[in-house]
Amino acid sequence: MDSLTIFLILLALGFVFGKLAERRHYRSIQAREEILVCLPATSCKKPMGNSSPINHVELVHGHVVVSVDYFKQLLAGLRNFFGGTIQAYETLLDRARREAVLRLKESCPTANEILNLRIETSSISKGGSGDQVGSVEVLAYGTAIYYQPASSQHSSP
Amino acid sequence: MNYHPSLPEHNDNVSHQRPVREFFVLITGVLIFVFIGYWALGLVVDVAVDYLSSEQEAKLFSKVDINWDFGKESMPEEQAKIQSLVDSLTPCLAPPYPITVSLVKSDVVNAMAIPGGKMVVFSGLLDSLSSTNGLMFILAHELGHFKNRDHLRLMGRGIVLSILALLAFGGDSGISDILASTINLRTAKYSQTRESQADQTALQALQCHFGHVGGATELFERLQAQDAEADFGFTHYFSTHPELQQRIDDLNQLAQKLGYAVKGTQDLF
Repeated sequence: MDSLTIFLILLALGFVFGKLAERRHYRSIQAREEILVCLPATSCKKPMGNSSPINHVELVHGHVVVSVDYFKQLLAGLRNFFGGTIQAYETLLDRARREAVLRLKESCPTANEILNLRIETSSISKGGSGDQVGSVEVLAYGTAIYYQPASSQHSSP
Repeated sequence: MNYHPSLPEHNDNVSHQRPVREFFVLITGVLIFVFIGYWALGLVVDVAVDYLSSEQEAKLFSKVDINWDFGKESMPEEQAKIQSLVDSLTPCLAPPYPITVSLVKSDVVNAMAIPGGKMVVFSGLLDSLSSTNGLMFILAHELGHFKNRDHLRLMGRGIVLSILALLAFGGDSGISDILASTINLRTAKYSQTRESQADQTALQALQCHFGHVGGATELFERLQAQDAEADFGFTHYFSTHPELQQRIDDLNQLAQKLGYAVKGTQDLF
């Protein structure tokens, strides 16, 4: 009886606070994406048709570790039983990827362009308690290009 | 190639799910699976218990050293007295094998039947009783469990439940907690019928031993008086023993039906 009560409290807390945290995170992501949308980050290997001389390049990266709440973890565990898409984890990964790219962009605000963007995901708590994945680390890395100031304006080929 | 900064209008990577509904659908499905499995394996346990003879049981559990070390040797005098009481019941209620009593110093008001012929009596029980008849009824009740093989049945069901939880959810997850709590309701229901049966056996043994059934309901009445002070209203859903008033009524009815008299009781020891 006691363990059931504790369990239900944990479940409710996980649901409410998980939802609040997620909503807040999404608001922050959306606001920052709007600011940083002007800095292109692509998976191209070469600059996008820009013939300006390059001043310098650098390796940039951003990474983030996010965890799901108790409720979603349980939901995913139940889903394991029957199979199917684990929708409970979709927002976790979506948020983590976007946050990692945002952090990457924020680390080089004066760059003109980011090339060769790669995103990698790894689970953190695997094997810790059972085989459930509680949190993920997402790493985004790429090459930041800085053009020479005189020709920093983009022009069509 | 020009770069036109813009953000996607929709996020197609996140489903517009209804997590609470999904949760209830999934948990209902899992529980249905487990209930069916538990019910079916419970029947298997009953069959297995009937198949296992008393001699085999005694042999099986004599090798298993269940370490009930709560300091059982601390009250050797009382323990010997209870042992002789249990032995004196043998003509009326023959257990399938010799029963060894262990008296354990504890505030718990209870006694337990353990596979292999061990009976554990907690000393709190002695403090709650004032008559030998009352104690005798509880001892006969536990002997009834041995006779009906209830200790094996409940242990078998416990094992089945652990295995099911382990298979379905693997060790420690919150789901095992839910499962344990909900299955507890069913186990409680099951063991309530077993308890009633043990009560009947005990009542008959009491009549046979003393020639009347005075003191049979002593402990229940006393516990009921204690419960009245701290009543939570819904405790009976979770208790493995039938509600106290129900038990008292059942015992009185049975005594009346069988024509058992209720006479004065002897003081304890």
